Amino acid sequence: MGERAPREAALVARSPIAPAPPATVEQGWEISARRSVARLRLTDATPLAKVLVRAAADGPVARGLEIRFGRAARDADGVLVVGSGPGEWLLLAPPGTAPEIARRVTARADGEFASTFDVTHGRALMRLSGAPASDALAKVCAIDLSDGVTPDGAAVRTSVAKLVTDLVRDDRGGEPSYLLHCERSSGQYLFDALLDAGDEFGVDVDGFVFPGV
Amino acid sequence: MLLPCPWCGPRNASEFRYVGEQTVRPDPATADPAEWRSYLYMESNPAGWVAENWLHRAGCRRYFAAERHTVTNQVRATRPPDAEAAPAQHADAAAAGRAGEHVREGRP
Repeated sequence: MGERAPREAALVARSPIAPAPPATVEQGWEISARRSVARLRLTDATPLAKVLVRAAADGPVARGLEIRFGRAARDADGVLVVGSGPGEWLLLAPPGTAPEIARRVTARADGEFASTFDVTHGRALMRLSGAPASDALAKVCAIDLSDGVTPDGAAVRTSVAKLVTDLVRDDRGGEPSYLLHCERSSGQYLFDALLDAGDEFGVDVDGFVFPGV
Repeated sequence: MLLPCPWCGPRNASEFRYVGEQTVRPDPATADPAEWRSYLYMESNPAGWVAENWLHRAGCRRYFAAERHTVTNQVRATRPPDAEAAPAQHADAAAAGRAGEHVREGRP
């Protein structure tokens, strides 16, 4: 019997999507340190805190969130509030803030029956950014992604590469950018499907940069 | 084929699950086996307008009622199930959905 190996100092959270080399650990998450300046970039944004809220579509919680189904916007604290369904919201915030975000929502419930779930580790999230993002996405998604129908701040749940996905248009730096949110077990598949669709547009993997929202 | 969801607006039919024709559930206290069999397994399947239920599986995950023409696949009306109030805050999408005429595919 040899000496027992020393226990690791800290736990590391891992995304379902394998990080593109070089991988590094930052704030408890294993992420890719790769940086890309390609025209079209795909980033694994899974470390973001994800909180799912279920409440009445017209109750105190809904009024506090101020976002209706089909829209997405940042609140005063910088949390991206996504109206992902009738009476259903997805809150995206910097990594590690999920319990606090959930508490803040529950505090506003005012006696209403509302549920909050921390789905940070149960879902995958990725961001597709760049001028050709809409064209690449149009190959695997039947939604009309033109500016008139799906402008900045639009949120839809639809089929992307045959996968049920929350699709949020959240433009950055004047360029089209989409957040895609799906079940954890399908994360690597969706990531690969988007890389495949974006191949003709020169897609490249870009590492996650904190805080990410 | 596009199917107009009362919450999400027109969407690809592959996002939906067909639930079945709208029928009245027999009274469990009085129904005989023949009535149950008819309710569970028999469909009228007319060549014309039929009221049916659909589930928006890959979207809002809500059930809704639709009137569809089985020959042309024209959908003339969709609405949430009776138990649920119409989604007032989603008036835009609902109006687009109820406008009907989202006809495509199918034989003329």
